[in-house]
Amino acid sequence: MKRREFIKTSVAITATAGISGLPLLSSGGVDPVSKVTGESPYGITKKGVELIGGMKKFISKQDIVMIKPNIGWNRKVEHAANTNPEVLKAVIEMAFDAGAKKVIVMDNSCHKSEDTYRRSGIKEAVEKSGAEIRFSDENRLVVHPFNGEKLKKWPVFRDHLEVDKFINVPILKHHSSSGLTIGMKNLYGILGGRRGKLHRNMGENIADLANGFKTDLTIVDAYRILTKNGPVGGRLSDVELKKTVICSKNIFEADVVAVDLFGKNIDEIPFIDAGFRRGMGQKDISKINIKTFVI
Amino acid sequence: MISKYPKKKLTRIFFQVVFLVVFFWLLIRTGAAATETFKYSDYFFYFDPLLLIINLFSTHTIINLFLLSLIPLALTMVFGRFFCGWVCPMGTIHHFFSWLFRRGEKKAEEVEHKLMKLKYVILTLILIMALFGTNIGGWLDPFSILTRSTSIAVSPSANYLIEETFKEGAEESGIIAKGLKPAYEFSKKNILPNKPRKYLQSVFIGIIFFLLIAANFYKRRFFCNYLCPLGALYGLFSRFSLLNLDVDKGSCKKCNVCSSDCTYNGSPYQDYMKSECMVCYNCEDSCPPDSINTKFRFPVKGSVNKIDLGRRRITGSLISGIFFASLPRIAGTSKSRTHNFERPPGSVSEVDFLDRCIRCGECMQACPTNFIQPALFEAGIDGLWTPILEPLTGYCEYECNRCTLVCPTNAIETLSLEDKKNFKIGIAVVVKDRCYTYADGYNCAVCEEHCPVPDKAIRFREVDVWNFEGKLVKVKQIYVVPDLCIGCGICENVCPRADAPGIVNSAEEEQREFDY
Ligand code: SF4
Ligand code: SF4
Ligand code: SF4
Repeated sequence: MKRREFIKTSVAITATAGISGLPLLSSGGVDPVSKVTGESPYGITKKGVELIGGMKKFISKQDIVMIKPNIGWNRKVEHAANTNPEVLKAVIEMAFDAGAKKVIVMDNSCHKSEDTYRRSGIKEAVEKSGAEIRFSDENRLVVHPFNGEKLKKWPVFRDHLEVDKFINVPILKHHSSSGLTIGMKNLYGILGGRRGKLHRNMGENIADLANGFKTDLTIVDAYRILTKNGPVGGRLSDVELKKTVICSKNIFEADVVAVDLFGKNIDEIPFIDAGFRRGMGQKDISKINIKTFVI
Repeated sequence: MISKYPKKKLTRIFFQVVFLVVFFWLLIRTGAAATETFKYSDYFFYFDPLLLIINLFSTHTIINLFLLSLIPLALTMVFGRFFCGWVCPMGTIHHFFSWLFRRGEKKAEEVEHKLMKLKYVILTLILIMALFGTNIGGWLDPFSILTRSTSIAVSPSANYLIEETFKEGAEESGIIAKGLKPAYEFSKKNILPNKPRKYLQSVFIGIIFFLLIAANFYKRRFFCNYLCPLGALYGLFSRFSLLNLDVDKGSCKKCNVCSSDCTYNGSPYQDYMKSECMVCYNCEDSCPPDSINTKFRFPVKGSVNKIDLGRRRITGSLISGIFFASLPRIAGTSKSRTHNFERPPGSVSEVDFLDRCIRCGECMQACPTNFIQPALFEAGIDGLWTPILEPLTGYCEYECNRCTLVCPTNAIETLSLEDKKNFKIGIAVVVKDRCYTYADGYNCAVCEEHCPVPDKAIRFREVDVWNFEGKLVKVKQIYVVPDLCIGCGICENVCPRADAPGIVNSAEEEQREFDY
């Protein structure tokens, strides 16, 4: 099944389930979430994926893989505004080792993309690892049905729909309007158009977005986290070292574990509540199958 | 008739091509977002003595690098207007089109004596106006025209056409698009911006450039012969040059071959005009009996067929220049106390800015976010094509100081990245009847998210607001901290409100006016 068809059917199933009032299919507790802490961003990323079954579980031979980090802001790695390049390096390597034919790294930056890709250190790291750096090109937007409660459809860059696997690699940061940005919010980067409009009812929109788009793996970079003034940051005193990576197939539960790591209360984050109501997973952290590891 | 091997002419063409390539390479390099800033972008301008004089007149100072322009001026005393014939990229382009429009047909064209004087009148006007406080030299300076036309019209247009050819789905329809795809991908990676540039003045500036090119249909190198003030300046100096063209009247067969390809449309064998000759060697290389020869010698008095401007014309242009110079000054629109436009970071105060800026558009080419736009009449009539900032098309990237590095005249002074980050371009002002958090009563704060100042110049406070459903709700209302705001404009740029933004950038508190 092509990704696009899959998304359609899965959306349809969720939608019908929601309407008929049936308990939603919940993967809670089924997919484990790994939480690995250690000195090297590269090392903890590898270990994190290994703990949830290894990359081969998510990527088949000859797959074309899209990696979606956060390359939003023209900031350096110390500012914790973008995904750590070392984490990305590990993900790309694992994808190739698992037999991926092609690995693409792409985001829709908020700052000038060329400068942002460069200053974040991501351009260099990705090119060295043999993956393709791609910019979001407005000519490639197609309207994608999310069929959510608030978010019905929105223009998405085709690139994300035309790959075999999608790996979401957000950074854990404070975010002024959504509370935090983690995996679900990171999917904003697949959207084009006037994204700012989605800030009204943001929690619901984020949940619809993450629920209406299939991701195969989420790897949350919480090596350096931005505790204040997110998403753009810029002040080193707002950055804290957590030296952790969280991995899961379930984007929602990865986010729940990340919220906990950040030290916020689950109920403070509107998109978590919205995601829970859509049956995306467990929001009670004690019901999540977490595999913790310290290197 | 055996045609000779045109050695000198070919050498000239070689030099023309080299300088043309260097010029465009510098310019494209300046605008290529895929690379870091390039600090030699503005070097071509330093070899333009017209700019040296204009800016000396208008600002009473000299930027040391502009002294480089004395080199071509001194060389003109030796070689004549070699600059126009061998170096000037603007001239080369016109040369190319003049040739293109006349391919295969060789016929003598006549010098437009009256029109030829126009460029000297223009030169006088520009200089006298600069002396009296209105610097409009950049409107006609060849480097300025070429840089501006290329950055604002030609290169964005090429970019647009390239994107149209290669954009998604196009490769299925066109063989060209398919075959050239690798070339496209290479340039996309190295030269072309991710998002094609947009300029509010493209049409205007593009049409003017087009007309200048089209004028070559009428006369060879129309711009150079009739309009160019730099050409006029070199013309004044080349009269005294050591290189002289001699026609051996004895062997000359009056065949008119030399007149059929003369760059200034003249007839070298009968009325050679030294001030107009661009040393192109077309005549010498084509003369069948070899009667034309260039020699180094002191110009003999009376031997030079010079342009007679006439005292009345000179006095006329002097007086009109003074009058014209004063008009914008009293119009109240420019150099006035208040204004509602912003200048790039590092810009000097408005009065000095208008004196310095030569409207070249280097800064617009350098700005990666498309923030800097050529003004129409926002900055007064004499502020035409000076750089203003337009948050509809871009914003000032926090980690960028490119425009401050490329300005040849220091209208935008060089700032280090750290200084740029603290330079107050202006400040943002919330428009309360538009911003969603005030007018409609719901959370938005897209602008707050984007504010790059580490301490946050946009913040919010939670207040009770009657929202659009008539309910009293808690809303995070935004406000600007004027002391922190640097006026980068990203807030206005990203505000999702579609009709007009809920926060606008304004020249209020712009640092350049208070930096005494
Ligand atoms: S410093 Fe700002 S205005 Fe100047 S080129 Fe950079 S982004 Fe553009
Ligand atoms: S400000 Fe400087 S770079 Fe910009 S147009 Fe004026 S002279 Fe050229
Ligand atoms: S982005 Fe616009 S509408 Fe939203 S808070 Fe800022 S000014 Fe108001």
